[in-house]
Amino acid sequence: MIHRINETPKILEVKDLSVHYFTSRGAVIAANSVNFYLRQGEIMGLVGESGCGKTTVAMAILQMVQSPGKITHGEIWVDGEELNSLSERELRQLRWRKLALVPQGAMNSLNPVLKIKEQMGDAILAHERQLGRATLKQRILQLLDDVGLPARVYEMFPHELSGGMKQRVCIAMAIALNPPVIIADEPTSALDVVVQRVVAQTLLDVKKRLGVSMLMIGHDMGLQAQMVDRVAVMYAGNLVEVGPVEAIFEEPLHPYTQLLIESIPSIDERKPLKVTEGLTHDLRNPPPGCIFQFRCPYVTDECRAGRPPLEEIAPDHFVACFKVKSARLA
Amino acid sequence: MVRRSVSRYNPEWLNKKLVIGGSMILVVVLIGLVGPLFWNTDLAYVGSSPRSLPPIWALKGNIAHPLGTENMGRDMLAQLIVGTPSSLKVGLIAASIGLGVGLVLGSLAGYMGGKVDNIIRTLADSATTIPSLAVLVVIAAHVRMQDTTVMALILALFAWPHPTRIVRAQVLTLRERGYVRMAILSGANAFEVMFIEMLPNMLPWLAASYTGGISGAILGATGLEVLGLGPARVPSLGLIINQATGASALMRGLYWWWMPPILILMIIFTGFFLITMGLDEIANPRLRGVKA
Repeated sequence: MIHRINETPKILEVKDLSVHYFTSRGAVIAANSVNFYLRQGEIMGLVGESGCGKTTVAMAILQMVQSPGKITHGEIWVDGEELNSLSERELRQLRWRKLALVPQGAMNSLNPVLKIKEQMGDAILAHERQLGRATLKQRILQLLDDVGLPARVYEMFPHELSGGMKQRVCIAMAIALNPPVIIADEPTSALDVVVQRVVAQTLLDVKKRLGVSMLMIGHDMGLQAQMVDRVAVMYAGNLVEVGPVEAIFEEPLHPYTQLLIESIPSIDERKPLKVTEGLTHDLRNPPPGCIFQFRCPYVTDECRAGRPPLEEIAPDHFVACFKVKSARLA
Repeated sequence: MVRRSVSRYNPEWLNKKLVIGGSMILVVVLIGLVGPLFWNTDLAYVGSSPRSLPPIWALKGNIAHPLGTENMGRDMLAQLIVGTPSSLKVGLIAASIGLGVGLVLGSLAGYMGGKVDNIIRTLADSATTIPSLAVLVVIAAHVRMQDTTVMALILALFAWPHPTRIVRAQVLTLRERGYVRMAILSGANAFEVMFIEMLPNMLPWLAASYTGGISGAILGATGLEVLGLGPARVPSLGLIINQATGASALMRGLYWWWMPPILILMIIFTGFFLITMGLDEIANPRLRGVKA
């Protein structure tokens, strides 16, 4: 492995983030001490199975965790500003300007009674009130062009667009204010593979042209392998491995990452689907030791006793596993 | 967001149902607006004309009283010209107050939730269980009504629960929509979320509730008037029916007495119903079908 120190500045940094959903039968720990950073101009994938807390982390970064959820701990630094301590008013000004979202399910993210020009215009005007009418139109048309949509979309209602077009409108809205960071929450789920490709390509084009950094949430490992620079693997609210995409796919270290990679179907061979033993624990009371102990094939007494911390075992490569750590030391 | 205003002209507003319904209401409104310019409204009062004259097309019709006169020597045309706008006015005032109160209470309840929601919802739900006509009869019997405005205010007491419930229910579902969250994310404040993102989506329900409210209030007012509990000095559609039944007009075959007010009421109700449906199609592009 090439050992080089990456000096690119960090544009987004999540420190020790915990999010709990308070229910009548105890608090569900949706994110537990999540630590990661996003360097300028890179795409980072956040992967994990459904319900592991990916979207919760994204919503926490955007400060949009919905009741009964609450950020119980942690700091979120975006471009030199800490978001948890900002007031609602300051957040409103900062959000779309520094941090935009390409939402999950574009079908529901556009208002059915407003034309595309109005929705995009509103998002821009909310931050730049003085913008003239002609300039605004010019800007929206340019944005539509940026994501490869024809100008006629300007006058259309959402129901006149296909799913892929709606998703691209959402991308256009996300880049409207040129934010340094975009969070894409499963931007291609609920689309067929051809349209997925178009949308993914649009995201890559936009990223290349504007130099934005992107946090891409998803469970499609194949798509992640194609698009992202680094991958963070999440399990039951905890990050278990964060590393460069090549390293993760070639040599996954954490047992959970290994299982995830093995689950990618292959065209060449018809292998039996890997069925994992055991179930995820109740998120309301996690076990004292390693978060993955109930499903891990290599579990030892050490894993049941204490939780392994997320440690950097190579530059930009972090793993939370006792076995990996001892193997490296040996 | 001042830029997007009603000034934007859309061919969608030429919806067939809206145009027909609108014209029906317009005709009724014009009776009250233009009528007094062409007809002497003093003829609407007792003893101003010959008694029980049939309309112009009947055998003994008289050009001086084209729609005939009734038992006490009141000219029917003049009565309608005076009575129709007062009935409309009652409906408009009561429904506007009801919708205004409903919009405020409903959005508060839906948006804030919790205790506020509990209180408002309980109040609205309890209010809908009160048999309004019975209460209105009691109130009307005790309040000396000089004109229709007082009656409108009394009717408004029962016009707010329905809009409140509709607005609350809509706000509750709209609050969770992706585009509302996106709007909040992209920097819209509570006011913009309510009026730009949510309100247009509620328009079909609001319009239905409003026109329904107008019809309901007119019906309520007419009911009281027919029972003889409305203002007795000013002619109104309900009062005409009340006097007609009092004088056994139905049995005496004086159809020109009791029929015209009923016809006008039917035009009003049908017109508002068509407007509701038309507005529904305009506010909700999904109902509209393919554009020509």
